[in-house]
Amino acid sequence: MQTSLLVISIALKVLLYPTYHSTDFEVHRNWLAITHSLPLSKWYIENTSEWTLDYPPFFAWFEKFLAFFAAKVDPKIVQVDNLNYDTWITVYFQRTTVIVTELVLFWALQRLLKVMGNRPLQKILNWSLMLNPGLLMVDNMHFQYNGFLYGILVHSLVDAKQGNLLRSGILFAALLNFKHIFLYISLPYFAFLLRAYCFENSGNSIRARSWISAFRPFHLLALGLSVIAVFALSLGPFVALDQLPQLAGRLFPFKRGLCHSYWAANFWAIYSFVDRVLIIVVSKFPLLGQYLNLSLDPSALAATTRGLVGDTAFGVLPTVTAQHTLILTLLLQIPGFVAVFRRPTFDRFIGSIVLSAFASFLAGWHVHEKAILLCTVTMTVALANQLGATPNSGAGALADLRSSSSALTPRDVRAFMIVSLAGYIGLWPLFFTREETPIKVLITVLWFIIVGSGLDQCIPKPLNASPSSSAIGKSMLRYFTTLERLYVFGCVPVQLYVNVIHEALFGLETLAFLPLMITSVYAAVGVIYGWLLYSASYFSPSKVALDKKKKLR
Amino acid sequence: MALKTKAHHQSSNHSSVATSIKTLKLNLSVFKYSTWLDENQLRRTGPWIAVGIAVLLRWAVSLGPYSGMASPPRFGDYEAQRHWMELTLHRPVREWYSDSSKWWDLDYPPLTAYVSLICAYIGNMISPEWFAWKSSRGYESIEAKLYMRSTVLFLELAVYFTSIFAFTARWFSKQNWTHQHTALVLILIQPGIILIDSGHFQYNTVMLGLVVWSVNCFLDDQDVLGSVFFCLALGFKQMALYFSPAVFAYLLGKSIRQGFFGCIWKLIKLGSTVILTLGLLFAPWSHTLPDILQVLHRIFPVFRGLYQDKVANVWCAVNVVVKLREMFDIKQLVRFSTATTMLAFLPSTVMLLARPTKRSLLYGMVNTSLSFFLLSFQVHEKSILIPALPITLLILDEPAVGSLFITSATFSMFPLLRQEGLVTPYLVLMGLWIWLTAGAFKGTPTLLSGFAIANIFIIFSMHMAEFLIPLPLAKYPDIYSVLNALWNAACFVVFWIYYNHRQYRQYCQ
Repeated sequence: MQTSLLVISIALKVLLYPTYHSTDFEVHRNWLAITHSLPLSKWYIENTSEWTLDYPPFFAWFEKFLAFFAAKVDPKIVQVDNLNYDTWITVYFQRTTVIVTELVLFWALQRLLKVMGNRPLQKILNWSLMLNPGLLMVDNMHFQYNGFLYGILVHSLVDAKQGNLLRSGILFAALLNFKHIFLYISLPYFAFLLRAYCFENSGNSIRARSWISAFRPFHLLALGLSVIAVFALSLGPFVALDQLPQLAGRLFPFKRGLCHSYWAANFWAIYSFVDRVLIIVVSKFPLLGQYLNLSLDPSALAATTRGLVGDTAFGVLPTVTAQHTLILTLLLQIPGFVAVFRRPTFDRFIGSIVLSAFASFLAGWHVHEKAILLCTVTMTVALANQLGATPNSGAGALADLRSSSSALTPRDVRAFMIVSLAGYIGLWPLFFTREETPIKVLITVLWFIIVGSGLDQCIPKPLNASPSSSAIGKSMLRYFTTLERLYVFGCVPVQLYVNVIHEALFGLETLAFLPLMITSVYAAVGVIYGWLLYSASYFSPSKVALDKKKKLR
Repeated sequence: MALKTKAHHQSSNHSSVATSIKTLKLNLSVFKYSTWLDENQLRRTGPWIAVGIAVLLRWAVSLGPYSGMASPPRFGDYEAQRHWMELTLHRPVREWYSDSSKWWDLDYPPLTAYVSLICAYIGNMISPEWFAWKSSRGYESIEAKLYMRSTVLFLELAVYFTSIFAFTARWFSKQNWTHQHTALVLILIQPGIILIDSGHFQYNTVMLGLVVWSVNCFLDDQDVLGSVFFCLALGFKQMALYFSPAVFAYLLGKSIRQGFFGCIWKLIKLGSTVILTLGLLFAPWSHTLPDILQVLHRIFPVFRGLYQDKVANVWCAVNVVVKLREMFDIKQLVRFSTATTMLAFLPSTVMLLARPTKRSLLYGMVNTSLSFFLLSFQVHEKSILIPALPITLLILDEPAVGSLFITSATFSMFPLLRQEGLVTPYLVLMGLWIWLTAGAFKGTPTLLSGFAIANIFIIFSMHMAEFLIPLPLAKYPDIYSVLNALWNAACFVVFWIYYNHRQYRQYCQ
């Protein structure tokens, strides 16, 4: 048990009670009310509040469970028409439920520690996940239940690592029925479970003629039936009520635009940014526009300047539709999918989950900035897994080829740190009140320094390093390239401008979208870079070469 | 290379352990964390992390309510501080202490007033309505709160944090880095200071930081500079007087040891420093005698009575049985309390005078300030922060008792904090403190750990009782505050005995 971690995380999270909570707080209060006061048939129909229930049924049941206690604490919480009710007792109650349900994550992390090897570095990863600035900001300030949901995900991943593939599959199916955002990573799950559970798994690729002999029909049956049972449990009642289309309409609101209220740090942020720049170029220098054969769509001019929710219109670049994003997302997921299908090891599985999360975050339709958590959380598990494969410094002789092929490399750590930093800074605009600025900055910077320094240990120190090397050479940034260091330090002036200087120069009203755009684009650059770095690590030729060597044996 | 540095560390550890006064085997979790930092060569990053965590805690607490928030007509300490900014900004200096607007008279010494003026000047540039004359009385807004909170934090960083860094570097110079860092972290997360300054709203850390700076100078044998800092502390908040007998005895004791002429020269130096510093601070009011008297009358408000509200000192405890305030008039009470206070700090000052070592200076500061808290006239519950300061500084010299004292001190301020809606941060910081220092009780005598457990049990049951049977009770309207004051007064008396005993042991060595 990591009691210290538990105590400190609870202490910090309770201290954050009085921080700003967003409309998501009212969203969840409203869901408490809907699930408690209304019959099942009204759950997905009810629309007194604009924050209708748009999570899958299991989450609704989860809210109903919480509402049981809410009604005891204060019956007014669960009144459907009691909109925007946020007395301090409501805030305390709901914030407490977040902390209590987050214990699922803590439990999962304890299992992770047991399964992946209980070493100091893995403990650091546990700390880094439990006191993750992303989770702190989104769950304990902004208000959501991600800690609980990611707890289930980690449980499922740990089961997969242990070889309890059926339980892993069931947990994941249940997770999908808690929050459908996890569809983002369902492809690798599908590939892994199908290949590793439903076929004889010798760890190597199967030749074409032995596919049939390797097939295990009972496993397929068991897995298929369990997953269907989970879905039936969740969706069955609504099928019986003939509400499935209504439910689907709530869960997948494709009427929303390409980008969220402010741009998530993904491809489309860059795309929109380029479009903005081109609009300015074309309108300022029409001749240049004509020369480049660019035309300006006048209707887009007014629409995108504020970046509000709704259909994002582009002024110069071609419009992106939902189909485009879907195809792109799938295309980006295919390499990982194939890798898992060819050789279904856990190392490949967890890596391809990370890549799927990235693909969906970077190219998806109407992606929330909070979805970055999917990338960072799964990356943490991947790192823990790689750490488990890294030989102990003392027992280097025992290190076999397999372990060194999946061992943690500086590249993975760099990718993780940069994606985390960029992604969490991308969450900062969620808190626009000045009081929260020191908190969001401090938790992110502290996390970056502590986890960065901690993970630095896993990289073997060079024996020939001169003792008089520079400060950078000794710090945790020593493995970062110059460009990466520039990016990390560049965050300081950029965020200084966004949080302080911009307001001092222009006030709150003029060019309100500029700071948001700067944050999104800067973060997008980091996330995309980290994704490329991680992909390079995942598909690195050295790994392939090692695999080949092994095959030759 | 890594191995080499490790070996080097170990050898340096050995040598420092050999030279240090006593080897501490620390079971503190903070110590483990410091060791982790040390093992990973994060000595340079560690302090930044510590500051980051300390600021994070302070800022999280400061998001909560402050003293007198949204409670007209008089509001609270926040309004007092804000009004002083308004007053100093709009009135000429001569009128600061004679302004009779009957709204939170300025009753702190001049340095507070000057600092208020600076804060008001900057704040006035941001938004004039925060400190507008008369119209801003009781002014509350999120922006104003944010500004006021940041002035506290900024001053704390500039004065208190720096002083603690300098102190730990000096105090643990002969021990290894891990000890120094453990002390730094523990001192910076001491709950009482966070709750009062960042929660309740006061500028205690400026005074406390100046006192620590003067201690730093004394540790460096820079006695003149040290007394300048001490006078500045006095000039910021008169409560620094609680330390003055110890500081005076220490300096006098040191002077005596320098031979006849050396002694006289040193005394002249110190005396003129004190007079000059205080003279400069009080210069604007020193033209006429009535002016000075007016300032002094404001700063030492004897007319307010023996004690305020419920405070965990001897008088308040005795008052439960014997109604002192009805038996004697104020003048008698002043004389009586002054006499007993002097009697209480006499032993520690005499010991300090006889052997003015640096270690006993800190013990002396504990004992004199605790004597003042227990027995002097007009004590606030927040004044427990003053004895808590040297006890916090000695946290690694007396880890178990220090932890216990801070727990009691924080608990003794609970009635105040509850009134202001700071129960949640109180519970969190108190729990964190108890948990982080619990390891200190491993291997201590049974009596001590038993006392600690009993103390926590009593604190817990009092909180539970108050939670289950909320006030007001018809028969005993302030039963919980009285019980709190009684228990803590008893504890503080025990602590007074203990620290006197410890000082005596120092003296005998």
